[in-house]
Amino acid sequence: MEPVEDCAPAGAEEGSGPSAAQRRAEVRRRKLLMNSEERMNRIVGYGKNDGDGSPARRAVEPRFHLDLERSEPWSSPVSTKRLSPFLSEAGETAERRGPPLPDSRDGLGSTGTTEGDLPGGVRQRARGNVAGDEHTRSPRKGVQKYLSRFDDALKLRSQMASEKTAQESSSDSEELDSFRVFRLIGSAVLALFVRLFVCKYLSIFAPFLTLELAYMGLYKYFPKVEKKAKTTVLTAALLLSGIPAEVISRSMDTYRKMGDVFADLCVYFFTFILSHEVLVLLGSEAP
Amino acid sequence: MAAGYSWFLVLGSVFLCNLVKSLLPSVSTFLSKVLQKDAEQETEMKSEIQEMRKELSSISMKDEFARYARLERKINKMTDKLKTHVKSRTAHQAKIKWIVNIIFYILQAALMISLIWKYYADPVTVVPSKWIAPLERLVAFPSGVAGGVGITCWLIVCNKVVAIILHAVS
Repeated sequence: MEPVEDCAPAGAEEGSGPSAAQRRAEVRRRKLLMNSEERMNRIVGYGKNDGDGSPARRAVEPRFHLDLERSEPWSSPVSTKRLSPFLSEAGETAERRGPPLPDSRDGLGSTGTTEGDLPGGVRQRARGNVAGDEHTRSPRKGVQKYLSRFDDALKLRSQMASEKTAQESSSDSEELDSFRVFRLIGSAVLALFVRLFVCKYLSIFAPFLTLELAYMGLYKYFPKVEKKAKTTVLTAALLLSGIPAEVISRSMDTYRKMGDVFADLCVYFFTFILSHEVLVLLGSEAP
Repeated sequence: MAAGYSWFLVLGSVFLCNLVKSLLPSVSTFLSKVLQKDAEQETEMKSEIQEMRKELSSISMKDEFARYARLERKINKMTDKLKTHVKSRTAHQAKIKWIVNIIFYILQAALMISLIWKYYADPVTVVPSKWIAPLERLVAFPSGVAGGVGITCWLIVCNKVVAIILHAVS
């Protein structure tokens, strides 16, 4: 079988680059054009055996068309359905009908679809060479896009692995820099001050908000610590889904700032309650 | 009096949990060493391989090929055995670490649930409600007492503060 023969060298020459893949795609396209009808029957899985045997299937099952322009080639290729090529051929032959999914996949496998050549599936070509040329360009784009994303995924994976080993060796995920320490101490001191002098007159959260506003202004006077952006599973997934790195880093930065404010609030409230309880205890024990 | 020190009980529990969590790696390492039965065998194999390698380096391959090949085979066999042994030891250590972590998390969850159950309706401490305005409802959740500090709020605050303190200390 020709497709099987194509499969073996294609698999072996996977590493030779897009030129070999393009050549094989071209050869395959010519074969398709020359022998479209026979190929259709072979792929579809009907023809001599099931030519008239399943009228219900013909009526119910949709026709399918596998597209190389898909961005996710390894998802089910038969889920995308285009009617026009098959509609045109259905007028010509009565044997072209949508096959059951496993058969179509088997048919595809037997026609020699390989990872390097046609990751999206086999295109059924019934038109002339003009449409074919346009379609070979878009499969190439799709292949290149897929390969670039695959490379990105591998790089991110290695980056995550190296960061994980570095983290395990260093064992410190977030260092307390000088500004953070200043914030925490400032929050605790303010809580103490508020408990002693201010809380009878207004809410304890008002001074806290004022303190946070002051911190925003004081931030620029402290040495800035370069925080290395960690590649986690979440950031890797966001990067691969197409979200720009700039957006991700800004979101992470915002999230980090919110975490700092939350930590300040926790320290402030804790110190306030603790000082209140100590004062109550001292007050109750005082004669 | 017990009600007056609820906040301290919760704080102490949270501190204990976080302290034990920071000591978990040491505990699992200690347990794996204690439970490891044939730890000495590995060192013996390593020393044996080292000696055989020394002997192999002293033998000339051209002059005593048979002896060289025999010794090399022995070294390879011993190395494979050592690798298998190291793999099983590593798997054993990982298993113990996993078990210790699971036990700890179960105990921690049980402790937290029991604390929440105990102080669901009562606040851990009470302050004048105007002090914590306008967040008095949120702070008092789920007790609903005006001016009270609810168990959930206090647990979150204690967890964060204790984590910061332990992080700074370590």
